[in-house]
Amino acid sequence: MVLSNKTKAVLLGPLNKNNPIIVQVLGICSALAVTSKLEPSLVMAVAVTLVTAFGNVIISLLRKTIPNRIRIIVQLVVVAALVTIVSEVLKAYVYDVNKQLSVFVGLIVTNCILMGRLEAFALGNGPWPSFLDGIGNGLGYGWILVVVGFFRELLGSGTLLGHQVIPQFMYDAGYVNNGLMMLAPMALILVAVIIWVHRSRNRELYEQTN
Amino acid sequence: MDAISLIVRSIFVDNMIFAYFLGMCSFLAVSKNVKTAVGLGIAVTFVLVITLPVNYLLENYVLKQGALAWLGEEYATVDLSVFSLLIFIAIIASIVQLVEMIIERFSPSLYASLGIFLPLIAVNCSILGGSLFMQQREFVNVGMATAYGFGSGIGWLLAIVGLAAIREKLEYSHVPKPLKGLGITFIITALMAIGFMSFSGINI
Amino acid sequence: MNREKSGYTMIYAAVMVIIVALGLSFTHQALNERQTANVNIDKMQQILRSLNIDATSAEAQQKYNELVKNAYLINSDGVKEEGTEGITPDDPAFTTDPGDENAKGLPVYEANIDGSVKYIIPMQGTGLWGPIWGYLAVEADGSTIYGAEFGHQGETPGLGAEIVMLSFREQFIGKEIIKEGQFRSVAVVKPGQSVSDRDYVDGISGGTITSKGVDAMLRSSIGEYERFLMNLNAAGEGQ
Repeated sequence: MVLSNKTKAVLLGPLNKNNPIIVQVLGICSALAVTSKLEPSLVMAVAVTLVTAFGNVIISLLRKTIPNRIRIIVQLVVVAALVTIVSEVLKAYVYDVNKQLSVFVGLIVTNCILMGRLEAFALGNGPWPSFLDGIGNGLGYGWILVVVGFFRELLGSGTLLGHQVIPQFMYDAGYVNNGLMMLAPMALILVAVIIWVHRSRNRELYEQTN
Repeated sequence: MDAISLIVRSIFVDNMIFAYFLGMCSFLAVSKNVKTAVGLGIAVTFVLVITLPVNYLLENYVLKQGALAWLGEEYATVDLSVFSLLIFIAIIASIVQLVEMIIERFSPSLYASLGIFLPLIAVNCSILGGSLFMQQREFVNVGMATAYGFGSGIGWLLAIVGLAAIREKLEYSHVPKPLKGLGITFIITALMAIGFMSFSGINI
Repeated sequence: MNREKSGYTMIYAAVMVIIVALGLSFTHQALNERQTANVNIDKMQQILRSLNIDATSAEAQQKYNELVKNAYLINSDGVKEEGTEGITPDDPAFTTDPGDENAKGLPVYEANIDGSVKYIIPMQGTGLWGPIWGYLAVEADGSTIYGAEFGHQGETPGLGAEIVMLSFREQFIGKEIIKEGQFRSVAVVKPGQSVSDRDYVDGISGGTITSKGVDAMLRSSIGEYERFLMNLNAAGEGQ
């Protein structure tokens, strides 16, 4: 694949140095409550990536026509329509996961990443870079979600995607699932650990004050 | 009585922040000092109290399956719930805009303190979250929906003011460098959430 | 074209709303059939879980057809209404919601497990935050519980939401809802407490209001089937 350096930066930046969750602090809201299992985390990651990418493309195509006064409303309507479509598709094809995600599918609308990218990128760039930017940010958000979901399900239930991973003899030997992992606050602690690891490897991201 | 118990539960047990992490973006960004935190908290409560009853009425008299029955027999089976997300967010955005204009017009001093937060609120997850939870939980009447909005808002206010107070003190602590700022804030929020879990058994 | 003119803004908004509305309605129509099918399969899975069978959504339909032999509505005297039999999602038993005041009767499902008949009764109630529901499978004697299944819409995760867990549900197995010839239901009590006049199970600690909701739901929903269950019970003793 031939990608210019600039395009590469647009696509890959959000995965690491410009990560929406752990660097830009966006989009944490709807994310963490669904990460108690790996499967809903994966579905959520895919849903947000798709909505961000297509939202970006649509707004980028419309950017020369949108009246400035109703800019925010137009963006919200586009995003809400996309999210409704995603939610209808989830209901039709992965009903079980949709039940677990409940209101959090709808809350993708107010995911700050979306509005943030639409305002900051799509309004000033062409459709193709906007698409890549959406994919990049969606994935940057998604991998954090998946990592958190992975550890919470592994340590909390001893399963991955519903399959038993911790072998039975471990339980017989006295191993117990960590019920604390199933509780919502542990998602925050895990994200904090990811931030810790990430920042100790990228010293330029240190913050000066608490 | 039911309303009071609902308010208490939505403040302590089902706190928007500590139980569902809704409104985290502005929660983390605007919790560096207590004064602004109070401002944002009040603005969130205010908007929740206004949007929830409006969306409740729309949900029950327009959107829900069979909600249009008051128009006549032939509308009794119409189901518009596929549009609910769109309508809710449009209502929230326009009410925020409206509130902003009204406050600016009638109380410049209030506008000076709340005004800057209002645009932030349209995309605050806790506002849309309130409406979506209202839809899911099927409250019995508009009063209960308003009470839920009030309780959730106060719960949010309590959370952000608490965090801001802790962060003000934290200025003087030695936090490991990579955890400074965002990292330690996450951990504090998590510990506060665990603390709030002790309310979960209460029964009023 | 001037983008900031009021006329342009209004036309723009109107066109956008129409396009979005059409798009959403189209998606909804296109996917509606699959969604309904999913809802039906989910209901079958719940019915199967009340028979202590965990079916995946792929196998639910087949297992349901295999095990559930009959379904019908009963009237307030506990007698089967003629012409309401059928187990498919279009038949009256499947489409009737418990708690529906305009319903023509109360739905009952009959399942056949290893040669013995179980009666499955749908239930509906209110938890802490919203509706809760369930299915109770009763042995042919009309009293002994064979299995129970519960569902909820938005109970607190980790507390009230635990009613769906196997550890809560399996407590019901073997409990009697009829004692000394009288309908008593099964009580849900705070863990550690007990009641003397009827069978009881431990509620969810920390989920008091949801547990109370389950208790009330059992009493009211199963209570509506009192005549039906008493008839079964009497018939069993006569033999």
